[in-house]
Amino acid sequence: MIQIFVSLVLRAVVVLTGTALATFALLWHAPGDPALAIAMARHNAIVPTEVIDLVRAEAGLDAGFFVAFQAWIAPLLMGDFGQSSVTGRDVWPEMVTAISYTVPLALAALFIGLAISVPLALLATRSPGSWVDRGAVALASIGVAIPAFWLGLLLILLFAVQLDWLPAMGARTSAHMILPALTLGLGVAASLTRILRSSILEARDQAFLPALRRRGVIHRDIERDHVAPHAAIPFVTVLGLELAFLLEGLVVVEVIFARPGLASFLVSAIEARDFPKVQVAVLVTAVVFVVVNLLIDLAFRTLDPRIGEHDA
Amino acid sequence: MLDVDQVSVRYSSTVTLRDVSLSLAPSRTLAVVGESGAGKSTLINAILGLVPCPTGHVTWDAKPVRKCRPALVMQEPRSAFNPRMSLRRSVKEPLRGRQLDEDRLARLCSGLEIAPDLLDRRPAEVSIGQAQRVGILRALIAAPPLVLFDEPLSALDAVTQKHTARLIAQMQREEGFAALIVTHDLGYAAAFAEEIAVLRAGRIEELTPARAFVDAPQTAYGRTLRDAAFALGAFERVA
Amino acid sequence: MTIAATGLSAMRAGRTILYPTDVEIRPGERVGLVGASGSGKSTLGHALVDKLRAQGAHVAHVPQSPDEALDPLRSMAFHWREAERARTLAPDPARQQTLFNALHIEDGDLRKRPWGWSRGMQQRFVIAMALIGTPDLLVMDEPTSALDPVVAAGTIDLLDAHLADRDTALLLITHDLGLAARRVHRLMVMDDGKIVEDSPIKRLLMAPMTPAAKALCAHRNWLELPC
Repeated sequence: MIQIFVSLVLRAVVVLTGTALATFALLWHAPGDPALAIAMARHNAIVPTEVIDLVRAEAGLDAGFFVAFQAWIAPLLMGDFGQSSVTGRDVWPEMVTAISYTVPLALAALFIGLAISVPLALLATRSPGSWVDRGAVALASIGVAIPAFWLGLLLILLFAVQLDWLPAMGARTSAHMILPALTLGLGVAASLTRILRSSILEARDQAFLPALRRRGVIHRDIERDHVAPHAAIPFVTVLGLELAFLLEGLVVVEVIFARPGLASFLVSAIEARDFPKVQVAVLVTAVVFVVVNLLIDLAFRTLDPRIGEHDA
Repeated sequence: MLDVDQVSVRYSSTVTLRDVSLSLAPSRTLAVVGESGAGKSTLINAILGLVPCPTGHVTWDAKPVRKCRPALVMQEPRSAFNPRMSLRRSVKEPLRGRQLDEDRLARLCSGLEIAPDLLDRRPAEVSIGQAQRVGILRALIAAPPLVLFDEPLSALDAVTQKHTARLIAQMQREEGFAALIVTHDLGYAAAFAEEIAVLRAGRIEELTPARAFVDAPQTAYGRTLRDAAFALGAFERVA
Repeated sequence: MTIAATGLSAMRAGRTILYPTDVEIRPGERVGLVGASGSGKSTLGHALVDKLRAQGAHVAHVPQSPDEALDPLRSMAFHWREAERARTLAPDPARQQTLFNALHIEDGDLRKRPWGWSRGMQQRFVIAMALIGTPDLLVMDEPTSALDPVVAAGTIDLLDAHLADRDTALLLITHDLGLAARRVHRLMVMDDGKIVEDSPIKRLLMAPMTPAAKALCAHRNWLELPC
């Protein structure tokens, strides 16, 4: 077990190193002069060449790729996330503020997704092929097909403009979170319902279940002890993939609802070519991904000990 | 003739074949018997060159065995065919684009009791017994000098097994190929092979003429196998 | 008490695969159900077990392969406890020990899941589980075809020995008359969804009446050897 854990952590380190290099390289080779962009953003005017060179030297941009990368990664490893190249302020406190808006929204969306999909899938699989089942499948298919930016606008039109029940813009009160969370949560619910329904149906189709019935094991125990654990395995996989979907959806939703957060932090940093900010935001996202994948991997090994038998 | 000379195979750290040596002449039949995990499938893969044999040689008439284009009959008749193709197309595949000799096809079909219209169906539309006879047809169509049989009867029922075994023997008399049969069924081995090789943990325990093996196996493990076959009704003592 | 079920039948995809059939088995009797593949013998076995269970009889069924009997995610101990609960029996270490000894699986680690055991051990575990509470009838569907011959022969011998002094009747479903011939008193021959012949084993081997029984008799062994 310890061996497996160590190998998983090592894998995570490799992924993170790769991410750091890749993001740095992408920005390094992106078209346009980062020094010019910083200088423009800082002075809000056309600036003379000397100023641009000054900025370039200050940000370590003139020393070549690997020197700049080293100069950037070394303090990061020590927990110093550096200063914004535009405003000169520390990046980390801004990042923490952004996270404090984003994490509750993501969790709320996930909660909504689970709260809708689990009961709906259980109801649908009670009698497969019935109108309840078909209805659930149709609903889920529609939900998966609707893009978040459109659903968000529809919800704003209905609840904020027409009915005037809920606020649409900003993040001042907890009521401000309802519409964005719903926008994300409904999408999550749709895809989770589909996968959970098919996992349950597949788990009910296993070769050993008739033998259990002939042995006299009652239906309720079969569902709880044999169907549920098998259905959980693909469900957990998709739950992990949902996270990717959530982060992607967050960018759209935070922009539509004019919410501060990780996504708007990243978007504004990219627009300003604010190197340190972009890289930290991407790294934090990568860490979240890696950690979630690690947790899912471990959950897998608990759910199905056959997985990873031949590792290490 | 087939010559397997001191072949050893290892997967990562486990040795699956150790110093296996066999030889098999045209028109002769050798049965390799043993339990699951003894290395029977690995032996077939080694002969076909599907696993690397770092030590030893497998040759047919002193040339690498694949030069003689050996054929293989597989255990699961239906899954041995592409489900989307008609059986006729599958049967033609070993010819690799060469012209199909219709007379030969007709002769093989009648020898294997395959009705002519059966070949126009797909694998799922025929019985397992029929599918296996078509599998044998496909193996024989290009007239290979060596045919490997990997548990050719184990998916069939007892009556069909004996019937199919007789058809294989009859085709062998007509075609003269060398047959290497891998099976866990000692009854089949004893009834249709000239020699029996007992494979255990990757080694050949004994190599004995078939009838002599049934009467008196040379090793204790051979006796265990024979007694189990008796207990399962493969043989019967009659007055 | 004789075990009896009447009017067993089954359809699949609009086709009759089992015509209305009655089955009667005496306590302690060993009966073979033999036929070609596709003759409907497994279907009859399932229908018989389901009907008898509905009638309140204590019957146990052992499927062809342990994969059809054991959940790969659950430990052997879980399966055992579940089988006891299904028969509303309290856990009884003595009973478990007796059955494990009878089938030579006393060294198996019950904390492991099925795939931690060899297939032969798994199959013996499934048979031991079926024998919990001494059923009136044990139905075995091709009990040996998923096993190596040495393991298969050993398993059947152990079961034979265990059943010798008990009232549990045995229905042995197989395509192999050679296997059934030396284990059963009576043989039912199945062909195309019907029982076409039902007679004591000696008489059937001496004088089979129907084409199906004749084919089975003619092909029951690979070799006949002089004594």
